[in-house]
Order: sequence, then C-alpha cells, then structure tokens
Amino acid sequence: MITDFLRLAFLGGMLSVDRSAGWNLMLSQPLVGACLAGALVHPGPEWELYALRIPIAVGALLQLLLTNAALPAAQRRHDTATAGAIGSTVAVLGMEHLHASMPSSSAGLLWVLLGVVAGLLAAVLGGWVQGLHRSAAASDARRATAIAGSGDTGAYERFYLGALVRIFTLGALWTWCGALVLLAGALALMPRLAPLVTTRRIGIVFAVILGAALAAAYETHVKSVRRGFAWTLAGAAAAVALLLTLASGDA
Amino acid sequence: MSEERPEPLDEPPPSEPPSGPLPIRSRDFGIASSRLLHLQAILAPDRMQGPGFAFALLPVLRRLYPDRPRLGEAMARHTSYVATHPVLAGYVLGAAARLEEKRAAGEAIDAARIDGLKRALASPLAAMGDPFFWVVLRPFAGLVGVLGIAWIGPADPWLPDLRVLLCPLLLLLTYNALALPTRWRGVGVGYAAAERPAEILRSLRLGDWREVFERGGAFLYGTLLALVGAGLHASSGSGAAGFAPLGSALLPLALGFIAARLLLRRGPSAGVETALALLALAGLASLAF
Repeated sequence: MITDFLRLAFLGGMLSVDRSAGWNLMLSQPLVGACLAGALVHPGPEWELYALRIPIAVGALLQLLLTNAALPAAQRRHDTATAGAIGSTVAVLGMEHLHASMPSSSAGLLWVLLGVVAGLLAAVLGGWVQGLHRSAAASDARRATAIAGSGDTGAYERFYLGALVRIFTLGALWTWCGALVLLAGALALMPRLAPLVTTRRIGIVFAVILGAALAAAYETHVKSVRRGFAWTLAGAAAAVALLLTLASGDA
Repeated sequence: MSEERPEPLDEPPPSEPPSGPLPIRSRDFGIASSRLLHLQAILAPDRMQGPGFAFALLPVLRRLYPDRPRLGEAMARHTSYVATHPVLAGYVLGAAARLEEKRAAGEAIDAARIDGLKRALASPLAAMGDPFFWVVLRPFAGLVGVLGIAWIGPADPWLPDLRVLLCPLLLLLTYNALALPTRWRGVGVGYAAAERPAEILRSLRLGDWREVFERGGAFLYGTLLALVGAGLHASSGSGAAGFAPLGSALLPLALGFIAARLLLRRGPSAGVETALALLALAGLASLAF
C-alpha cells in the first residue's frame, strides 16, 4: 500500500500543477484524476480486473457533479483536481479492505458511492489546503518583483520554479494525506454501518446521486444555452434511434 | 487569420556590436511558449499573472538586454499587472516581445506604450477566452469523456477495462485539440501583428466556436439522458443492482434531479455541498425501505 500511496502522491502533485500553475491541459478534471488513480492503485491480483471499473464510475459522477460552468473566480474554492484521484483511491482500497465486512455491495455500487462521497469531501477539504498556496502567493509576488528589479535573472528563475515545486509538493502531500485520512475514516465507519447496508438502500442512494449529477450537468450544458432544450431533445432522439437500430440489428 | 510568422535569425549580423541587443531566435520563442505553461505558479490579486509573464518572457529579454541594469528594468516592467486567459497569453507575450525588440533597437517606445499594448490585448483576450475555454469547452470535453464510457462499451469480463485509460484520453484530446494549437500559435501571431491588436482579436473567432460547442454540449447531454435511461431499463430487466422494477430507480433519480436543481438555483456554485447534502438525505430516507 505504501507504493500505491507514493504513486498517488506523485499523481496528486501533477494534477495540482496542472490546475494551479497554468498547464491547464485538463489533467485536473475529476474523470482523468479518478481513472489515472484507478490505474495506479493495485488492490491485489484478485481485484485487478474488477477494480478498473469502479474508478470509471466514480470519475464520471464526480465529473458531472464538480463541473462548474462559472468562471474560476466566481466559484467556491474547491479542489476538484485531486478530488477524483482521492475518491477513486478510497473506493478501490476501501473495497479491498471492507468487502469481507459488508453484506452487500450491490455489484460494486457501494464502492462507487464511497468513492463519490470521499471525492466530494476531498474537494471541500482540498479547497482549504489550496488556501495555503494562495496566501503564500501574495508575498511571493512582491518578492519576485524585487528580485526581477535587481536584474539577477538566475535568482528570479530559481524563485519562480520554487513556487512551482511548492504547488507540486502541496498537491502531493494533500493527496497522500487526504486519501489516507478518508480511507481510515471509511475503514472505521463502514463496518458500523454494515447492518444498515442493503442492496435496495444502495440502489436508492445511487439513483439520487445520479439524479443530482444529471441536474448539475443540466445547469452546465443546457440551462443558459439558446434553444438548449431543443438540442437536448435532438440528442436524446438521436441516441434512442441509434440504440433501437443497434437492438434490431442484434435481434 | 494571419499566419505570418516572425523570421528570426539564428546568428546576429556581423556588423552588430557584441554588447547590443541580439536578434530573437525561434528557439527563444519556443522556450517562452513552453514557459507559458507555468504562467500562474505565482498568482496574486495585485499582479495576477505578471510574475509568470516575466518568467516566460525572460529568454527573449536576455537576448535583447545583455546588460544587467536594463534587463532588470525590463523584468520589473513585466512583473506588473497582467490578467489574461492562460491559453491566449502567448498573443500578449509575442506582441510585448516585438515592442521590446524595437525599444532595445533604439526606437522611441516607452514603457507606458508596452504596458498599454499588453493591457489592450490581455483584457479582451481574457473576455474572449474565459467564456469559451472555461465555460464551454472544458465542460464539453468532460461530457465527451463521460459519454466515452458508453460509446466504448464494457470490455470482456476477463480482460482489463481499457475505458479507464480511453475515457480520460478522449477528454484530454477533445480539449487540447483546440487549446494546444491556439497556445502554440499565439506567440508567433502576437509577434507578427503586434502593431495591429484588433487584427489579433478578430482572427480568433472564439464567439463562433462558442455557439457550436454550446449546442454540441446540449446535444450530448440529451444523448447522456437517453443512455442513462437505457442503462436503467437494462438493469431493471436483469434485476441487478437493486433497480428492479424500473420505477423504484426512476423515482429516487427524479427526486434527486429536482432537489438538486432547486438547490443549485439558490446557490449555483454550491454543487459539492448540494451533492453532499443530498447524499446524506438519501441515506437517511433510504432507511425507511
């Protein structure tokens, strides 16, 4: 598990740099973070094939829930970059350690829900951690200006790259700590909830969060688009037509 | 759109004195473009991307001002306030490099003119880039990645599910197919059209692209709804995952949808808190079943 967490920390550092340093290659999207973490974390050979499906579902739900169409300055300070990676890791490692104590996982939906809850909590807590970097950036900017004015460009480059390393380190440390704390929380709490966990209840909670994800996606993709509803209907009609064609072909 | 590229020289002309400005090379623009990837490592409200802008422009400034005092002045100039969209920052950098080159060559270009050009380009580029790249293209790419789960389909149960790599790849390709070429082109176009900022802004046509991707996003959302419906129907048919019969899944799904929409209407940026609250409520409500 130590190597799992080292790989995860490296991934978290990269995701933070993508989001905070200006790469903006979209590595920091929840779906990417969740899937990459799922590919890096190994819950053991008996889970290897099954474990790859959970990060996909965790990532998809977090992608829909955490995508905010508002400009970054208008958004609440959530760390959506590492949320997917942490959620996916907690789900996969939680499955490995908890499956024996849970009476039902409803075909893996329980672990997907665990990952989504962990990812959402990580987004909130990670937003607070990112505040550390933001508060340091104000004094860094003043110091950078002073170094730049001196003409010592080597010192300026070293100072600037130091800020980049800090973003990476903070992201890596947060991902490592966040995943560990949330996994520990799940390991402590889930066995106590085991008597309450039934297939039907897992299905209900999953359906509610799926509905919330679709509502969040509606706000993002349809609400403010001119004739958005008509385009949505066209998309749904096209998909239904395609599905029916494929089904008739199979028959 | 102007595709005119600067024609930098790799070697300085032999008549140039060694202490004067050296010509900017293609390599310098390449290094500056790659440094723009770290534009926001120091992002403070009073200077925004200023420190990152100076860091990216440094390879160019080193060529233009070999003497330390003038290099220091130039660096201090460029750490001042700059706020633009990171993908479009190259246009501002290219234009600033062109004016710095003229100033270093002795033309009467003062610091205020360089700063004025940067502001004249940076703000409109931010106003064009933010609504396109952040508000439309990023969510669109995310939706493409999510839909990839259904498009690619599940793998053989005995093989690794490659969707774990293909879906993120789909997202990354969708976004970067537009963003990366725009980034790469920016410095050269900005340098070539530095005296004509309006031409740079007109050449981007992000407003047209925005409409296309907005409608595409709504279309894909409809596809997502249909695929979720089909998935629930299939699950209820097989009796798997606690979704039998279909109504028992549709009711909580619809309630989750309505509750989330009501809550998001009151707090549009509170998606995380809304989802956590609904999870808690759903968990409590499910105890009745």
